Formats: sequence, C-alpha cells, structure tokens
Amino acid sequence: MRSELHYDAVVIGAGTAGLVAGARLAEGGARVCVLAKGIGSTHLAPATIDVLGYAPDRVVSPSGVLPEFIAAHPGHPYAALGVDAIAEAARWLQSRVESGPLAGYRYLGDLDRNYLLPTAVGALRPSAIVPETMAAGDSADLERACVVGTRMLRDFHPALCASNLSRLGVPARSVEADIELERADQNALGLARHFDDPGWRAAFAGRLALKLQADERVGLPAVLGVRDPHGAWSDLEHRLGRQVFEIPTLPPSVPGMRLYEILRAALRAAGGRLVLGAEVISSERDGSRLSSVATHSAGHETRYAAPWFVLASGGFNSGAIELDSHWVTHERVLGLSLRGLPAEGEPRFLGDYLAEQPMSQVGVAVDGELRAEGAENVLVAGAALPGAVPWREGCGEGIALASGSHAAQLVLARSGAPAGAAA
Amino acid sequence: MATLSTDVLVIGGGATGAGVAWDAALRGYDVVLADRFDLAEGTSGRFHGLLHSGGRYAVKDPHAAEECIHENRILRNIAADCIEDIGGFFVTTPFDDPEYADKFMAGCRATGVDCEEIDPAQALREEPRLNPGISRVFRVPDGNIDVWKTVWAMARGAQERGARILPYHAVVAIHREGDVVTGARLRGHATGEELDVEARVTVNASGAWAGQVAEMAGIEGVRVLPGRGIMIAMNHRLVNTCINRCQMPTDGDIIVPMRTVCIIGTTDEHTEDPDDHHVPLAEVDQMLDDGEKLVPGFREARALRVWTGVRPLFEDAKASDTQTRDVTRAHAMLDHAERDGVTGFVTITGGKLTTFRLMAEDTMTAVSRHLGDERPCLTKTEPLPGSEDGATYTLGERLQRKEKNLVDEQIICECELVPRWKLEQAIQRRATTNLDDIRRLLRLAMGPCQGGFCIYRAAGILHGLDGLSAEQADDSLLDFLKERWKGTWPILYGDQLRQARLDDWIFQGVLDVEHLPANQPEAVAT
Repeated sequence: MRSELHYDAVVIGAGTAGLVAGARLAEGGARVCVLAKGIGSTHLAPATIDVLGYAPDRVVSPSGVLPEFIAAHPGHPYAALGVDAIAEAARWLQSRVESGPLAGYRYLGDLDRNYLLPTAVGALRPSAIVPETMAAGDSADLERACVVGTRMLRDFHPALCASNLSRLGVPARSVEADIELERADQNALGLARHFDDPGWRAAFAGRLALKLQADERVGLPAVLGVRDPHGAWSDLEHRLGRQVFEIPTLPPSVPGMRLYEILRAALRAAGGRLVLGAEVISSERDGSRLSSVATHSAGHETRYAAPWFVLASGGFNSGAIELDSHWVTHERVLGLSLRGLPAEGEPRFLGDYLAEQPMSQVGVAVDGELRAEGAENVLVAGAALPGAVPWREGCGEGIALASGSHAAQLVLARSGAPAGAAA
Repeated sequence: MATLSTDVLVIGGGATGAGVAWDAALRGYDVVLADRFDLAEGTSGRFHGLLHSGGRYAVKDPHAAEECIHENRILRNIAADCIEDIGGFFVTTPFDDPEYADKFMAGCRATGVDCEEIDPAQALREEPRLNPGISRVFRVPDGNIDVWKTVWAMARGAQERGARILPYHAVVAIHREGDVVTGARLRGHATGEELDVEARVTVNASGAWAGQVAEMAGIEGVRVLPGRGIMIAMNHRLVNTCINRCQMPTDGDIIVPMRTVCIIGTTDEHTEDPDDHHVPLAEVDQMLDDGEKLVPGFREARALRVWTGVRPLFEDAKASDTQTRDVTRAHAMLDHAERDGVTGFVTITGGKLTTFRLMAEDTMTAVSRHLGDERPCLTKTEPLPGSEDGATYTLGERLQRKEKNLVDEQIICECELVPRWKLEQAIQRRATTNLDDIRRLLRLAMGPCQGGFCIYRAAGILHGLDGLSAEQADDSLLDFLKERWKGTWPILYGDQLRQARLDDWIFQGVLDVEHLPANQPEAVAT
C-alpha cells in the first residue's frame, strides 16, 4: 500500500533545527510537514542557546567576537548565516518561549554577553541565552552558592559540583536534600514530575530551608518541573527567600523536553504537521531537484512530495551521517555529498582525547546559501552542516536556530508563499 | 625508609604472580606481592578471556594441550565463580584446510582433550549466527575466565592468610649480596615513598618483563620475546559458545563470549618493547575481516574497544624473532641457583593464562625447596574465596540479583548492572582513586556506552566518599576519559561512533570537563 502527500515544504528531522524550520515555515504560511525517525537532540542537551562559547578561548561577548570568528572560519555555518540572522533567530525563539505552552517560562539574555553557568561537574560553561530557571547561576554575580542534590538522583553529584566551583573562585558548598520516594533510582524526569506538584514542592522547600545559610543562592539539578517550570522555580524562590538556579546534567534533559514542547507547539499552532516514527527510507529525484521522499511505518509506505526540503537530520550522532566499518562515510537520508572528510591516508581520529579530531567537522556539502550540493531545492540545517565542532565551540543551538530559520526564510522568499504571517 | 621482611617476595601481579602468592600463602609462607601497576593490568588483563580446553594446541603443541585440559578441570573447581562454562566449537569454515579436522580429532584423542564431533546443523541450531558454510564441528570444554576476579580472589585469599599485596609498587632495585638475592626496593606510585623488602626468596613473575627484572638482579640472558596481539570487544555476545577455526592456530581465529560482550582475537607480531600498546589500524581491519569469516555480518556489530596484549614467550633455540607463534607456549621456570649460581631468586615466565596455577605450583615447589622445608601444594583443591560452592558463573547472575531489589537498589552502570553499594565497597576496599582500577574490578564502564553515563556518577561518588579531593576526582575522571579514548578511537565506526559522539556531547558539551580546574592554568573568576 502506498499513498502520496503534497506539501509546500518537507522538513526531515525533529531536533531544534528541524522544529524551528518547520514552525517558521508554517508561520510564514507554508503547508509544512516535519518527518522524523524519532525525537531529536533536544532531550539530550541542556537547552541553553549556546551561540559561541569558545573560540578557542572563552568568549565573553558572542556578538563582539563573531565577526572576527566568521572571518577566520569561512567554512563555518555562521559564515553563511551572519551575525544578524543569529540574533534574529534568537529573538524569535525567545518570543515563542514566552507565548508558548509553559506559562510564564522565559529565556533570558542576548548575544552581547555570555552567561557563565555551572555544569554538573562544577565547570563553568558559557552560554548566550538561557532559561530563566538557570540564569541565577551566572558566575558573574554569584557570590555564594549552595548546591543541592539528592542521593536518589545518581545523575547529579552536588559535592563534586560545589568543590569545583569553589576551586574556580565561586564559593560553594553542598547539601543533600531529604527526599523520600518509593524507588532508590530517580532520573531527572521522574524528579521533575514531583516538582510540578505544588504540595510536594512546598514540603521539599520546607525541609531544605532549614539547611540553608543566609546569603547563598541555591543550585539544583535541572529538574524543576516539566509542565510548569516557571511555577515551580518561582515558587521555590519565594518559599526559600532567595535566588534559585538549575544546573543541567546527564540526559534525559528536562529543560530540553520543555524546549521540545515549546517548538512543537509553535509548529502546531501555525498549522504544521509533525510525524514521528517516520524514517525516510528512499527519495526520488528529478535531475538536480529532489521531488519526494518516502517513509515506512506501520506496514505502510507514504510518499511526501514538495518543491522544497529541509534536511535537519543531524550528523554522526543521529546516524544520518555514517562512517562504516570499511571507513567510508555516507549521508544516509538522501545520499548527498559530504564535506570536511580527512583526505585519503590522513588519520580519522587522533590518539589524544581532547585534540581537534579530524572527523569532527564532517557535514553535508552546501553552497553559500546552505543548499545541498547537487540538490538545489534541499536546504541543510543544524548538525548536518559541515565546518563546526559544536560541542567544543559551544555553538550547537546557535547553528540549529539560525540555520533552521534561514532555511525557512529562503524557502518562503523563493516559493512566494504568503510571508510575514507571524513576524 | 620503611622495611618489610618476608619469606617470599613476588614481583609481578598478573595471574602467575598472584597465583604464586596464593600458593605460598596456602603453604603457610609469609609473602609480599608487588606490581608496578594494578594487579592483572599487564598481559593477564589484556587477553581474550579464554580458558583453554587444549584443543588449540592439540596438533601443534601436544604437551601444552595436555597441560591445558588438566588445568581447565582443576580451575573449574577451585575458581568456579570466575569461570563461565560456555563450551567451545572448533569449526571448519570454507576458508580452512578440510584435512586439518581429522588431525585435530586425533590430536585431541592423543592429548586427552574431550572432543566430540557434532552435526554442523546442530551447531547452527545452537549458534545461528555462525557461518552456514561450516562443514565440520567439534565440541570441546572451553570456558571463559574473568581474570580480574580470579587474580583479586587469590590476592584476597592470600591477604587473609597474612600476605601483603602491594599494587602500584614498582621495583627500583633488586638487592644482591654476592651470589644471594636478598630482596628488593619498591617505590609507591602514589606517594613516591620507597620501601625495602627483605626476602628469603624473590620470585620474578613479571612475564614479558622478566628479562628486565632479571637484569636488575644482574642476571643476563633471560630472553623473553614479547608477541603483541590485538583483541576487539564487540557489544553483544554474537555467539554464546567459544568459536575456534579448525586450522593451525593463526590470526583472528577465535571469538570468546565474555560476560555481556564477545572478544575476537588475535594477531601476533614480534615487538621489542613489552610496553608497546599501539594498535595498528591494518590489524583492526584484518580482525574484522576474520570475524566475517566466522560470523557473517560481523562488521555490522558495534566494536566497543580494542586493546593489545603482549605474550611472554620464552626464547627457544628453534624460534626466529619474527615468528613468535611458533615458540612453545610452555612455561619456563628458571632456578637461578642452578642456572647462574645466584640463590634466592627464581624466574617464572612463558606459559599461558590457563596454566597459571601450574606455573605457580612449579615455582613454589622450587622455592619451598630453597626455604628448606618442602611443604605440599594445596592449590589443586583449595577453592578461591568466593568459589567455595563450586557453582560456575552464569550470565544472568547480575540481573537475577538485581531483580530481587529492583526498587531499593541504585544502579550506577546500567550496561554491566553495577549497583551503588558495590561501587562504594570497591572504592573503600581498594582505597583507590583510579576509575580504571574500579573498571577492572567491577566491569564498570565496560558495556556499550563505555562509561558515557556511569563515569560522571562514579567520579561524584568517589568524591563523596571520605578523603578524596575534587582535584583527585577530576583527575580520575579525565584520566579515565583519556585512557578510554586510546581503546576506542581505532575502532570508531557505525553505531559506536554515534555512541562516542553522544559521549563527547555529555563530557565536552554538557559537563565541559575540558574546562575543569584541573585543565585550567589559573582559576577564572569572572
């Protein structure tokens, strides 16, 4: 059985880049469908919007450093996108967070200054735009911190976090919160569901308040609610009478789930469609244009035809780009050409763990408008793009946001669909 | 300087050295065991885990085959908890000389290795992933052995009888008065403090390093040819039986299921330096091709880790430098009183893991003679601590234990089902800050994610237990990540590259370990 559906644009991938592209296409009036094998990278990442953290020294002001960074890295996605597009995409995201399904929840900051936020191991990580629930962790004005954890959450170790923060010049101590739950193992999502419950939260705050000292802020793992994070966070600040901040930790990422819900809601509110469990298994071409892709699910093949496609399927980590055991690299979704591969005979990886790894900048070969080489109606966005090492440069969300937005705007401009519906 | 006095000083904490310490302790001697690194970190910890039936040597080295089957039977009783009775197949693949099979069967008969020919169709029912083109199959009593568990069981057993176990204590000098070796000076890795050990007999059980140690005692000509081989752990038990190619022993001809993974081995290259751990990429490719011959589709499975081990092959006149596999796998016990006129010093080298107990017995029998009160060997029948009930390990054991207290127990390493209490107990008992030591002890971080999730947890727990500074915890974490990378980068492809990339995001992105204070020249306070 086989059916064929027609859209103005089809987006492949439901990570940040794909959802942003889909939502902005839909807002621009395009009939859009986002196809994805599964949920993307949102649930793995802290959900801060890292625009540029290291270049390679720690970046204080992304907007200040970006022009020079772009000049020095002509193959970087930012060189095609430009600083203004990054800033515009970030503002769009902030407005969608505010109007989104999580009442009161906001993202703070801009490109002029990076926050410097504690990680779960107690390093300080730069990030430009962050959930309000994390902002008080900024080391710029964090005079004393009390890092709070619970033995039940094996994915967060407050003592190590506090000790390292102190070594980095942020005086911090740690306490273990008393939490009685039915299972010895809780992951971040399990705890976050409890924090959504006002009664549970009040009891937690009451016990914790007894352990705090007068002038310290409270750092907690990023578990302060999955449905009502603003309510949970502001309620805790109120009850504890001090600033409270979340510290991101190992996946699953609760702030990432919130971001996913916000982007999905933006897509749906604008009339876009999201199909999960829909891995693209084949595609059809018409010369240098892609004409349709097919998915297979529930014993049923569905073909999606469109004049435009956005490939936001991720890089090696999602499996969209693969290095096989014969050391050949493939783009597996559409069979596109790749860029950034080490030359024949050059090493793929180096033996030093923290070295710049040759394979780390591989992505789909694109032109100056981020269109895939050899497929003129395919825009590439997010981690599928070559030329960046996002986890080291601290620029993954910046690239995802700006390239997803760019793809949407380019499609809207070229296809003449009614634009500006949600400007 | 601190001094210790003992009957027997054992240099080298591999299976042989630990076996000697255990044997000595059971005979009632006072013993000190020292290794420059962790116990079983050298050759013993770097093999494929096979407890030989002897089949591998049945044609080529009948004496070795006889020793193997003899020791195999003993170890199943005394070290039951460390051994899984996986059984083994020798299979004739389309790539093998079909005439070898009859020689193999005759060899097994002659050497007493239990061997039964079975119908290839039956073998394929038991191991459906095997190459369907196999023409003959022989069943033998191969097993696998958790060498770290074995070595630590012997060390603990010896300790309970008064032995002093000193991992991370390198020998810096061997004391010799005229023609008598009187002990050695050790240096502790952590503190740099030196320690003099006076011993009535010093046993050089340093395997591939035996020549170097003998030279420190002024003894020349102990030539050990290090034969370097690589092994790759795959993320599943692609087979549940040990699979051997039925041919003369060669490269990449064996797959050993071990705990939750299986290991393919091995290559054999002569090397001058026993500390040479580099992994030639061509050998990785060769190993994957060899895997395909036994289990078609082998290349589609995830490769978790690659490592090299160095066989200690004692030089024999008939061997050339480049063909170390042709050197006998029998062990060599050198009584330097007879050989060099130097008393108080014995070297044991060569051999293979399966025969470690026998090597220890031979050594201690000679040592006992030197000590002037020949006491009997008890290791043939005395079970190691933890193996008293004689029940061999089964794959489901950890899960079975976990299911009993699913709700109350926290699991730190999901891949290997390591509970928190076990990790805390291991850290305290070992008094170690090295997560790699813990890995060997508990198999923490040995599964598909290679520590992607559990190593942050373990570092946090290490720090939370008394006495460990954040600096030490950070160092442990970073050292572990760097050490892990050495064993993963040569085999990063397919889904394991995805896994590595997720781990990169976790450690370099979410946690930003690169900017921990340990990696910062100065503290940054913005």
